[in-house]
Amino acid sequence: MAGRRVLVSGMGGELGSLTASLLEEESWVGSLMGIDVDPPRRRLRRAQFHLIDPKNRPRIVDEVTKFNPHVMIHLAVWEPDARAGHAIARRFTHDATTAIVGAAAECPAMEALVIRSGIEVYGRHHHAPTRPSETARLDPSSEYGEMLADIEETARAVGNRVKLSVAKLRLATVLGPHVPSPLGRLLRMPFVPFSALADSPFAVVQDRDAARAFVAAAARQYDGPVNVVAPGAITTYQAARRGRRLPVPLIGPEWVIARRLAHLAGAPVPDHVLEMMHRGRLADDLLLPEALGVVPERSTPEVVDRLYAWESVVRLVNGERSVA
Amino acid sequence: MVAQVVRLPQRAAEAAAAVVTRPVRPLIAPFMVDDWGRDQRLIDLLGPLARLRWNVAVGGLHHLPARKGALLLVNDRPTSFSPLMASLALSRAAERPVRFAGRPDIAPGGPLLRRLGGILARPDEVRGALAHGELVIVSAAEDHTRHAGPLDHRLVQPAVLQGVPILPVATLTSRLRRYARVEIGPPMRPTTKRQGPLAEVELADAAQRHIQRLLDSFGGF
Repeated sequence: MAGRRVLVSGMGGELGSLTASLLEEESWVGSLMGIDVDPPRRRLRRAQFHLIDPKNRPRIVDEVTKFNPHVMIHLAVWEPDARAGHAIARRFTHDATTAIVGAAAECPAMEALVIRSGIEVYGRHHHAPTRPSETARLDPSSEYGEMLADIEETARAVGNRVKLSVAKLRLATVLGPHVPSPLGRLLRMPFVPFSALADSPFAVVQDRDAARAFVAAAARQYDGPVNVVAPGAITTYQAARRGRRLPVPLIGPEWVIARRLAHLAGAPVPDHVLEMMHRGRLADDLLLPEALGVVPERSTPEVVDRLYAWESVVRLVNGERSVA
Repeated sequence: MVAQVVRLPQRAAEAAAAVVTRPVRPLIAPFMVDDWGRDQRLIDLLGPLARLRWNVAVGGLHHLPARKGALLLVNDRPTSFSPLMASLALSRAAERPVRFAGRPDIAPGGPLLRRLGGILARPDEVRGALAHGELVIVSAAEDHTRHAGPLDHRLVQPAVLQGVPILPVATLTSRLRRYARVEIGPPMRPTTKRQGPLAEVELADAAQRHIQRLLDSFGGF
């Protein structure tokens, strides 16, 4: 098992660089390589990083096949309105999945693929299960859900074709310090809109717990889907109250105005976040400890509390921290 | 200068929120919902109202498992809200959450009933709750008379597959009076060992008969 070559796509993102830093501490990881359109957000000591645009397929294929990984962790997923707008997020995600997963399939040493998906793939249509387990039918009802379902489909097809184990980690919304998230930005606004008629509960997951799940799935070469969700649930109203924000009840048509105002204030509300606030988004978490041996360190309310505990500005004056 | 940082009036907003919400703050405390969206604080708040409507006598509590999950099959009458009444009464008596299947999935009724412990009447929803060791109420088809209606065997299947106890529960309510009764029967055991779906079909039929016997034992009309 020792001396495995691990490739992490999306290593530049918060989750990618956190996963890479955890992989660097694993004894079974021999060499580590990363690809992304942005440089890593953490100092990585062992990892080798390549800054490549997802459109540059020939170079991606060249670097990946040269590295010939045993395990690939595919984190190059752009959530709409997190780091890029809808159109760019969809294009980047599609290009990266096609190029990187396709290139991994060409590597003779390849044994396992771990991909990032999300509980958005279950969709929140009327009469959809409240807490879908991994066996629930995939029926996405948002653009992000469809993007993730496409990634799962591509990975499944590649896994069947070249006989790889494919772990599909369906993450709840990832929140944590410095994680670009439209939900995180919205909840940190001074005024937080919520659905007065529904105010449905949702679950999130801490970035570190998500990264631990990826490392465990890669180490175990797990095959199949797993929901990665922090225990507990919270509603938008409750989250705003915990963060001492002003909850603004909305009933229907005024959501259009609220979304525009939030966008102007720097917190665009994509359709999957809006859907979550109205219809809720929970998932069954029974399989996670059993399949990957990972128990989330923080519950959903604790993750939200941590979101509000961020310092707005941290200034370093003569090497000492001072919070503005 | 490349850009200018625009500061949102966060402190002013927080101060305004504090002033606006001060009179009603005890009512809008940051309630917490559980994994299924059930809000114990809201239930505690609405409890006196529910007890104003129903004065419930609960019997057979010793049949409920202390920690494990169980499927409770109850009779229902139109506009009696028997599953909700039984869920609130049993939660209070057993001091653990009791959920009921059959909430609508449309606002505002659906989300409100979810806060009160409602889940959707779907086999996968019931299966998920039972797998987490929850007590789940599934109601029979509504019947105008004092008869137990037929039970949907598809909602009984999760309990059969997971091997959790299935208990018949008879409920008695009146549209005019406050008096209500919830009687839990002993766990049911299949008379014939079945490998396929006949197990839940026969258990659903047997549960209907058990509930009827419990209703008949109440006496009166």
